[in-house]
Amino acid sequence: MSDIAAPIARTALSFPGPLRTVDGWETTARHATGGLRLTDLGPLVKLTVRGPADGSVRTALGTSFGRTARPRGGPLAGALVVGSGPGEWLVLGAPGTGGELLAGVGAIVADSGEFASVVDVTHGRALVRLTGEAAPLLLSKVCAIDLTDRVVPNGSAFRSSVARVVTDVVRDDRADGAARTRSYLLHCERSSGQYLADSLVDAGIEYGIEVGAAAADPI
Amino acid sequence: MMLLTCPNCGARNVSEFRYVGEAKSRPDPETATPEQWRRYLYFHRNPAGWISETWYHGSGCRRYFGIERNTVDNAQRSAAGTAGATS
Ligand SMILES: [Zn+2]
Repeated sequence: MSDIAAPIARTALSFPGPLRTVDGWETTARHATGGLRLTDLGPLVKLTVRGPADGSVRTALGTSFGRTARPRGGPLAGALVVGSGPGEWLVLGAPGTGGELLAGVGAIVADSGEFASVVDVTHGRALVRLTGEAAPLLLSKVCAIDLTDRVVPNGSAFRSSVARVVTDVVRDDRADGAARTRSYLLHCERSSGQYLADSLVDAGIEYGIEVGAAAADPI
Repeated sequence: MMLLTCPNCGARNVSEFRYVGEAKSRPDPETATPEQWRRYLYFHRNPAGWISETWYHGSGCRRYFGIERNTVDNAQRSAAGTAGATS
């Protein structure tokens, strides 16, 4: 069996051009150099957690509906925890950390004694990052939510219709030294991912959108 | 466009919601007569004025909630104790 290559996972999105492999995931290798870019984050680990909105699961995850947290220590160190709904969380981790993260969140759920669950949906969802000062202008063409700082500040999250697709939108600005760049994570069902990405690219043409990652982007 | 205020998410475009219907009590299927059951399923008050309704926020929090809505001008007020609120 040694002549069989290691299996390759594919993200929900495919774009013309070269490919690269990230931790067993095949994704686009395109580079974006402009001020507005759409990056495929499909290889990130994605867990959904459900439980009581105000219980010990919520305390352990450190955030609730509409807000995000980046735990510095503990089992979720380095992950991004998103309060995606009332009693509903999305945990995003670096590619390849699925086992530890699932075990960490699983322990939180088990220790809580609450009626709660955690499911690994890494392969079942699409995840992109839209970065650039024009990102809110672009999103305003396909999403009815007011994206001003007053309504959607950095570190907040909501679920709404984006290009008619039910999408979790997370504002997670990129910091580069003292400079901050607007950035949004968009998370939806895998089967809608290509359509959502194509819709965002279409809406972004007038702002010079590019598909791919900049050199500074961590995956 | 009509805005509807979800108790979890705030004001949203009504296209994000599914209308469930007027909030009313379900007769006991064991004892209800066919006539009562038929009334429950197919007869609605349809008032010009305030009505208690259940809506489902399918494109947002994915929760059912109750709201009071004035069918004349679409004014809304939150409805404590109306049907809905299932998790
Ligand atoms: Zn809602």
